[in-house]
Amino acid sequence: MLGLIKLIQDIVRSLNSQGTPGQLAAGMALGAALGLTPLLNLHNLLILAAGMLLNVSFPGFLLGWAVFVPFGFAFDPLFHAVGTVLLINTPALKPMWTVWYNTPIIPLTNFNNTVVLGSVLAWVVLYVPLYLLLRWSIKLYRERVYARLKRVRVFQVIAASKLYNWYRLFRP
Amino acid sequence: MKIFRWKAVGTLAGTILVFALLSWLFLDTLVRRGIEKTGELIVGAKVELAYAHVRLGAGQLVLRGLQVANPRQPMQNLLEASDLVAAINPLPLLEKKLVIDSLIARGVRFDTPRKTSGALANPGETSSAISEQLKSWADQIRFPSFSLEGLGKAIELPPLNQDSLRTVRQARAVVQFADTARRGWEAELHAIDPRPKIDSGKALAARLHGINTRSLNVQDLAQNVQTTKATLAALTSTLDRMRKLERSVDSGVARMRAGVGGLEDARRGDYGYALGLLKLPSLEGPDISPALFGTRALEKMQAVLYWIRIAERYIPPGLTARTHDGPKRARMAGTTVLFPREHGWPQLLLRRAALDLALRGEGAAAGDYQARLTGLTTEPAIYGQPFRLSAQRTGGRVAVRDARLAGVLDHVRAPVRDSVAASVAGFALPSYDLPPLRARAGLGDGITQFSVQRRGDNIDARWLIRSTNVAWQRLADSSGATGGSRKVDDLLWRIVNGVKDVEIETQLHGALDHPSLAVRSNLGAAVTQGLRKEIGAQVAHAEQIARARVDSAVSGQVAAARQRLGSVQTDLQARIAGQRGELDAVRAELEKQLKGLTGGIGIPKLPFQR
Repeated sequence: MLGLIKLIQDIVRSLNSQGTPGQLAAGMALGAALGLTPLLNLHNLLILAAGMLLNVSFPGFLLGWAVFVPFGFAFDPLFHAVGTVLLINTPALKPMWTVWYNTPIIPLTNFNNTVVLGSVLAWVVLYVPLYLLLRWSIKLYRERVYARLKRVRVFQVIAASKLYNWYRLFRP
Repeated sequence: MKIFRWKAVGTLAGTILVFALLSWLFLDTLVRRGIEKTGELIVGAKVELAYAHVRLGAGQLVLRGLQVANPRQPMQNLLEASDLVAAINPLPLLEKKLVIDSLIARGVRFDTPRKTSGALANPGETSSAISEQLKSWADQIRFPSFSLEGLGKAIELPPLNQDSLRTVRQARAVVQFADTARRGWEAELHAIDPRPKIDSGKALAARLHGINTRSLNVQDLAQNVQTTKATLAALTSTLDRMRKLERSVDSGVARMRAGVGGLEDARRGDYGYALGLLKLPSLEGPDISPALFGTRALEKMQAVLYWIRIAERYIPPGLTARTHDGPKRARMAGTTVLFPREHGWPQLLLRRAALDLALRGEGAAAGDYQARLTGLTTEPAIYGQPFRLSAQRTGGRVAVRDARLAGVLDHVRAPVRDSVAASVAGFALPSYDLPPLRARAGLGDGITQFSVQRRGDNIDARWLIRSTNVAWQRLADSSGATGGSRKVDDLLWRIVNGVKDVEIETQLHGALDHPSLAVRSNLGAAVTQGLRKEIGAQVAHAEQIARARVDSAVSGQVAAARQRLGSVQTDLQARIAGQRGELDAVRAELEKQLKGLTGGIGIPKLPFQR
C-alpha cells in the first residue's frame, strides 16, 4: 500500500500538476474512462497517454479511475443495451461499423463489443457534464470543507503522518 | 497555461515500453490460453496445449502437445498432435484476424485415451445447445427391445402408463399447439376484422360501377378518385395482414399435419414398447436390427450431427454480421459483433495444412497417413472457396487394400453443401457383444464405409460395416438358464451360428433438425426369420394383445389431435383463405374502377400496393 502511495507521489512529482480545480476535474473526468470502460482495450492506452501528456491533474486522473470503477460494473447492463442498439439494432450504422471492423488497428479497441462501445460512448457523452460537476464540487470542497477540516485536531494529527502526504496531493 | 506536458513524453514512452515488454513476455502464455479457450468454445470439451511460442519476426507460431478431448466421450481425445508449426501472415493481426498461410502438423493421432476427464464444467453456449437439441432428438427415437424371457409364460401385460407412450405425448403436443395457436389466430383475425372493409369496398365498387364518369364534374371526379384510393390503401393494408396471418396458419397447419402424420410411427414404437414389457420381441417388421444395433448406430449418428451443426455455426455462409459472446472478464462480457466484408480478411483462415497422421493399434488400418486441408475459414464467403480435406495412407503395419477420406464443406453461399466420404477396406472391425442373442460376433477384417451429404437443411448419411468371415462365440450365461430358457438360447445360437457374412447399415435421412434413423442388418433379418418360424405364433398372439392395449390407451388422444387438425383446416384456415380471396377480388375490382375514373391515365402506384 505504501509502495502504491509512493508511486503516486513519484508520478505527481514528475508530472507536477498545476492543481487548479479545473485541472483536477479534467483529470478525474479523463480517468473516469478507465473506470467506466473495460480496461484492457486499446482506447484506454490512448486515454492514459492523454492523462499523462495533457496538463491535467494526474493524481486526479488516478482518483477518477478508482472512483468510477464501481460505476462501470453497476452500469454494464445499460452499456450493453446502448451497444446492442448501436451495433445490432441500427442497420444504418452497419456500413460504418463494417469499415471500422476492416480497418487496421481500430478492431484492437474492441469497439465491436456492446459493453465497450456503450461504455465509451457513455463516457464521451458524460465527459463535459462530469467535468463541470467535478470542478464545481472541488471548488466547493476547497472553499468550505477543507478550510474547516484543517482546523480539526484529528486532521492535524493525520496531516503530520505519512498518509497526509498522499492526501496533500488533492489539497489546493 | 500550457496544454501539453512535454516533459511527460519520456514517462509515457517508458510506460508504453513496459507494456510492450510485459506483452512480449506473456505473449506465449496469452496465445496458449487463447487457443485453449477458443478451442474449448468451439469443441465443447477441454483443449490443452503444452507449449506455444510465437516468433513475431519470422511470422511463425509453434505449438506442441495439443490435446482435444472428445465432447461425447470425455475420457478419450478426439485428436492429439505432438508438433504444429504455422506460418502466419502478420498484416491481418492488426485487424485482430488470424490468417495462417500454411500449417504443418506431425504426430497427429485420433481417439487416444485421456488420464483425466475432458468434460468442461461449463461448455460453450453453442455446444451445449446443440448437445441439448441432439439429446432431445435421440430421446424421441425408441428402439424396440429384444427379449425372449416371456416365451412360454402366461401373457400378463401390466397397465400401460399413458405418459410412457410416445403416441400420447405426441398427440397431446398437437392438441396443445392447436389450442394455443388457434386462440392467437382467432384474436388476430378479430383484430384485423376484414368484413367491414370487404363490405365497404364492395359497396364502393358497386357505386362506381353505376357512375358515368362523363357526367361528373372535376370536383366530384377528384373526390371519387380520392375515396377509391383511400379505400384501396385500407384494403391493401388489411390484405397484407391477412396474408401474414394466412401464412402463419398454413405453417401451423403443416406442423400439426406432420405431428398427426407421425402418430402412426409413434404407435408402432409403442407396440414394440408394450411387447418389450412382455419381454418379447416384435417380429412384425422386416428385422430386429434396430433392437440389436440401434443404440450404437444412434451414438455414431449423433456425433455426425453434432459436428455438422458445429460446422454450420462456426462456418456460416454469407456476409451477414454475426454475433458471439464477448470475452470472459470480471466485467460483463456483452456481445461481440463481427462485420465481415467482401475483399477483407476472414476472422480466421487456414489456407493449407499438411498433417502426418497415425492410427494406433495393430489392426490393418493402423499406420501412417497424410492429410491435406485447404481453405478452412470462419468466413467462406470472403475466401470464396470451399473447405477441402483429403487423407491417404502412406505406410502401415499390415497391407490394406484401400483407405480413403475426402470431404468438401461448401459454405461459400447458402444453401450450404457438405460432403464427406471415408472408406477403409481390410480394417480389423471390432467385436460386437450381442447380449440379447447371447453371442459375440468377431467381425474380423472387413469394410467400413461412411458418407454424409448435406444440402441446405437436409442430410443423408450412411455408415456401412461389412464382414465376410464372422467368428461367433457364445456368451457365458450368467443367469443360470435352465429348461425353456436354455431352449431359447440354443435356438438363438443355431440361428446366429449359421450367419457367416454380416452387413450392418445405418442410414440417416431427412431434415437436419429431426432426421429419421434406419438400421438394417442381414443378421437381424436372419434372427427375425428364424424366430418367426419357431415361435411366430406365440409372439403374434402376444402382439395382438399388446396392440389392442396400446390402441385403447392412445385412441382418445389421437382422435383429439385429428379433430383439432380437422377443425383448424375446415373452419379457420378455410375462413381466412375465403376472406383473403374476397379482399383480393374487391381490390382488383376497385383498381379497375379507378382506372375507369382516371380514363386510363397512369396513376402512380402507391408504395404499399403490390
